[in-house]
Amino acid sequence: MSRSKQGKERITMMTRRTFLSRTGTGAVVVGVAASELGFPAVLRAQKAPLVVCGWGGTTTAAQREVYFRPFERETGIKVVEASPTNYPKLKAMVESNNVEWDVVDTADRMIFSGIRENLFERLDLKAIDVSKIDPRYVIDHGVGHKAWSTLLSFSTRKYASGNHPKSWAELYDVAKFPAVRSLRNAAFDNLEIALMADGVPFDKIYPIDVDRAFRVMGRIKPHVKVWWQVDAQPVQLLTDGEIDLTTLSAARIIALRDKEGAKADCEWNQGIVHMDWWTIPRGAKNKDAAMQFINFAIGAKQQAAMANQIPFGPTNRDALPLVKPEVLRNLPTSPENLKRQLLSDRTWWGENLTKVEERMKGWLLS
Amino acid sequence: MATELAIRAAPVRRPWETGWGWLLLPCLALLAGIFIVPLLQLGATSVTQPEPGWGNYVRAITTPVYWRVFATTFNVAAGVTLVCLLLGYPLAYVLTTARGHWAAVLWAAVLIPFWTSLLVRTYAWMVILGRRGIVNQTLMALGLREVPLDLLFNRFSVTVGMVHILLPFMVLCLYAAMRGIDRGLLLAAENLGARPIQAFVRIFVPLSLPGVVSGSLIVFITALGFYITPALLGGRRDVMIALLIDDYVSQLFNWGMGAALAFLLLAVTLVVFLLANRILGFDTIMGARRDETT
Repeated sequence: MSRSKQGKERITMMTRRTFLSRTGTGAVVVGVAASELGFPAVLRAQKAPLVVCGWGGTTTAAQREVYFRPFERETGIKVVEASPTNYPKLKAMVESNNVEWDVVDTADRMIFSGIRENLFERLDLKAIDVSKIDPRYVIDHGVGHKAWSTLLSFSTRKYASGNHPKSWAELYDVAKFPAVRSLRNAAFDNLEIALMADGVPFDKIYPIDVDRAFRVMGRIKPHVKVWWQVDAQPVQLLTDGEIDLTTLSAARIIALRDKEGAKADCEWNQGIVHMDWWTIPRGAKNKDAAMQFINFAIGAKQQAAMANQIPFGPTNRDALPLVKPEVLRNLPTSPENLKRQLLSDRTWWGENLTKVEERMKGWLLS
Repeated sequence: MATELAIRAAPVRRPWETGWGWLLLPCLALLAGIFIVPLLQLGATSVTQPEPGWGNYVRAITTPVYWRVFATTFNVAAGVTLVCLLLGYPLAYVLTTARGHWAAVLWAAVLIPFWTSLLVRTYAWMVILGRRGIVNQTLMALGLREVPLDLLFNRFSVTVGMVHILLPFMVLCLYAAMRGIDRGLLLAAENLGARPIQAFVRIFVPLSLPGVVSGSLIVFITALGFYITPALLGGRRDVMIALLIDDYVSQLFNWGMGAALAFLLLAVTLVVFLLANRILGFDTIMGARRDETT
């Protein structure tokens, strides 16, 4: 019976003949027959695999080690990976009622559009223990599980000994810091950066004064050589020495500095903290296992293990003490780093994203 | 005219005249299933999301930004087509005459890039044209420049990258047309007193026009939909329409507007195609019979 537990996917991948020859038990024959004849799920494999969609690359590799394999060992539920998280795909799946993902690692900017468009299941808080999670990161349709920061990042070929720009105001100061600059091709983060550069304190950033932000950005526009689309671009351009200053996510720049030995580093001052969320798409086929998985993955031990692999900030209060000391200084949510950073307001972005991003497109072209 | 004669010589029979037209059915069914139906769905999306009505089209037509992006798209595509033609024509001509080792080397030069990943070739240009790239290092080592030239992230680098990717299409189309030209006609012209250059311009060039037209069309239309190359090699003003459509679908989550822009691109492309057809008469050049009695 053990093989049939691995679920339908495994069965359909083999021909019936090889399948029977490998197992040879009567119970399996019943299982196969049931699945082929469309019998109710209860007669088929008892534990269907769980499909978890993440961002791919090194993040998924780390999640496999600290979340997926241990979860499989603990529950016997096989985890199937999908990537990358893609909002249009999620929306198409839910709207066509053909949901292939059970759990999705969702970004801030997607979650509010998704809730508005009714793409997510409500979480069952009886099945998920959120008592240790920072309450700011528990909402009806998701649990925040990894914080990441947008940081001022620079080439150490250009700025070797701590003489780099240390604030957004200095990034904007082209006279004092002549350099090849790069910014993201989006209003997201850039509006906050402009306001901070103009001297607005953290607690006055939201709601964003969009007109003022665009006015301030007008000062830097002629001096930005590359408006990057995906973060692989600034990673490559920093490595090649093609740009000197850019914005980049903390995990990417730290991996570049520590693992790939590129001549690059980052400044935590005035970083912008974002959150990624575990969500369950509406109509997910394996909802119960999905709740079980989220409950497992937000545990202190698991989140700490994840942070030790890739410096994303844990949201479980008990996780930080379990993180290695040398990793702690790289975490967006370490006490030291957190107090120097701005928390991105996802509600503001959920309401204004489309409007300001469209304005940004026009602004960049003019 | 020589072109007319050449066309008349080859009888063209339409599929339904031969009795074998039904062989097209699987292809047509496939086309209907994976192209026509999704296209219609896309059309429906453009007038139903986010709100029912023509709102997306009205906005696209009344907002100057979209006009600018369309203008950029057609400008870049036209420029790339022209450069491909200027580079590809002599190359295709040489390919039709080259023999032995030279032919092998030339074909490798055309085909190896053709088989290389588009992304790899685009990144290669970033390495070549960069501040610390080969070109700038050479210029600075020779003392020709003090500071590096800005070769990347502008219209120039977009054009270079796209030409590199699309040139093989142009060369293959031109080669196919040129190979079929009877060189005896050139000899005959010279025999009748034409200088070689005259024979080339008045005999060879007109006979190669079908290749010029089909190559230019393939390059132009493919260039209109380019996405990765302008995104990676372009500056902030080099935004082509495919980039904007992708932004609407994957960044702004507004499928309706993305679909409307895609349909506008399709419509504008068709209009350009039909206009060019009226002026240049593609169907005559491409070998179809326009009128039996002429």
